[in-house]
Amino acid sequence: MLEWGATQGIGPRTSSAARIGIGGPVGSGKTALIERLIPALDARNVDFAVVTNDLVTKEDAERLRRSGLIDPERVSAVEAGACPHTVIREDPTLNMAAGDDLESRFPGLELVIFESGGDNLASTFSLDLVDWWMFVIDVAGGDDIPRKKGPGVLKCDLLVVNKVDLAPHVGVDLSSMLAEAQAARGERPVVATNARSGEGVDTVADMICRAVLFHT
Amino acid sequence: MIGQLLAIWQADTAFPSGGFAFSNGLEGLAALSGPIDEMELENVVANALRRRWASADRVALARAYRVADDLDRVEAIDREVEASTLAEPFRLGSRRNGASLIAAHARIGTPGAREFQGRVRQGRALGHLPVAQGVLWRGAGLDAASAMLASGYVALSGFTTAAVRLGLLGAVSAQGIVRRLLPLLAELAAAPLPSRIESFSPRLDIAAMRHARGEVRLFSN
Repeated sequence: MLEWGATQGIGPRTSSAARIGIGGPVGSGKTALIERLIPALDARNVDFAVVTNDLVTKEDAERLRRSGLIDPERVSAVEAGACPHTVIREDPTLNMAAGDDLESRFPGLELVIFESGGDNLASTFSLDLVDWWMFVIDVAGGDDIPRKKGPGVLKCDLLVVNKVDLAPHVGVDLSSMLAEAQAARGERPVVATNARSGEGVDTVADMICRAVLFHT
Repeated sequence: MIGQLLAIWQADTAFPSGGFAFSNGLEGLAALSGPIDEMELENVVANALRRRWASADRVALARAYRVADDLDRVEAIDREVEASTLAEPFRLGSRRNGASLIAAHARIGTPGAREFQGRVRQGRALGHLPVAQGVLWRGAGLDAASAMLASGYVALSGFTTAAVRLGLLGAVSAQGIVRRLLPLLAELAAAPLPSRIESFSPRLDIAAMRHARGEVRLFSN
């Protein structure tokens, strides 16, 4: 019978690339944000790849592969087995293995981005999988989302409030929504974006670079 | 008692292994056959245990467990599993599920896990699930008989869990199937090992191959 010794037990990852997560409800604009982040990260000379977790199709992975923005080989799809929560939190091993595979295929990779399949406000990433993660909500989802204080909104490293251009069309007072989001999160950052126009995306890219790539 | 606890630890679905993403043909079968009632589902799972787990997975696991300290021989078993698995979705699913289990064990420091993971990353080993179970569970301290039972239980509960998520039956009814099939599992686990790895589950094979071409699916296979 083998006993677990002091030198065994939980050890550090063997991977070298930083890993970040992008979570948030279905339709909040996670894939659109990634499409904007790709050129922004390219401009910052970041060597990166993406893993998508679609729920029942490979829609998000195919969208990125066909976008012409990124080498399709740098996009991996992990089917979530009807459990978008599980695959990023309770059992992130499929994603971990997909990240390992990308690192093996692309030596020198600095960053792996994991896109959640989309879930509810309780969705959070396991720190076994990622070093840092952001949660994307959108103004069209309702200005009451920050007040609901879901774990996704509260625990993420960065809260992104997307589709800010829609605020006047859906009866949302944007400044009030952002203030409530900031109040719910205390000192932790909140960024407003419009992934269609690119507004706020450079701020997100800079925060990623500072947080996990230690770019100054 | 530690041997039994180790087996429970590895059979527990709370242990991250990626298994939740695989229906092993069940989603494809449901799409092909229409509604599957509880009795039919039980027959499907029983046949999969007899014709696939007992004759293929169990054999690969037992052999890998026996030679776990000789990874060259483990690689040969991996190749035999690859060659004897007809349906590509099962081959890929087994490798992906194996890679996930290896990732978890490498992370928690199971003896031998990192070395085996290195072989898989180099492409020397394929890392099929039953082979990975044999290597990792030997390293983790499970005895051979407990490893066999844990593997069988993971296969059985994997089917019923997938069935619940597919809406084929309720979570409580699913446990009725598990309970009724436990004696079969115990009997199969105790049977002498066949001389070669072979599986015969044509309905599930065909269903999984059709499922692989589907645009909309919940499970990886």
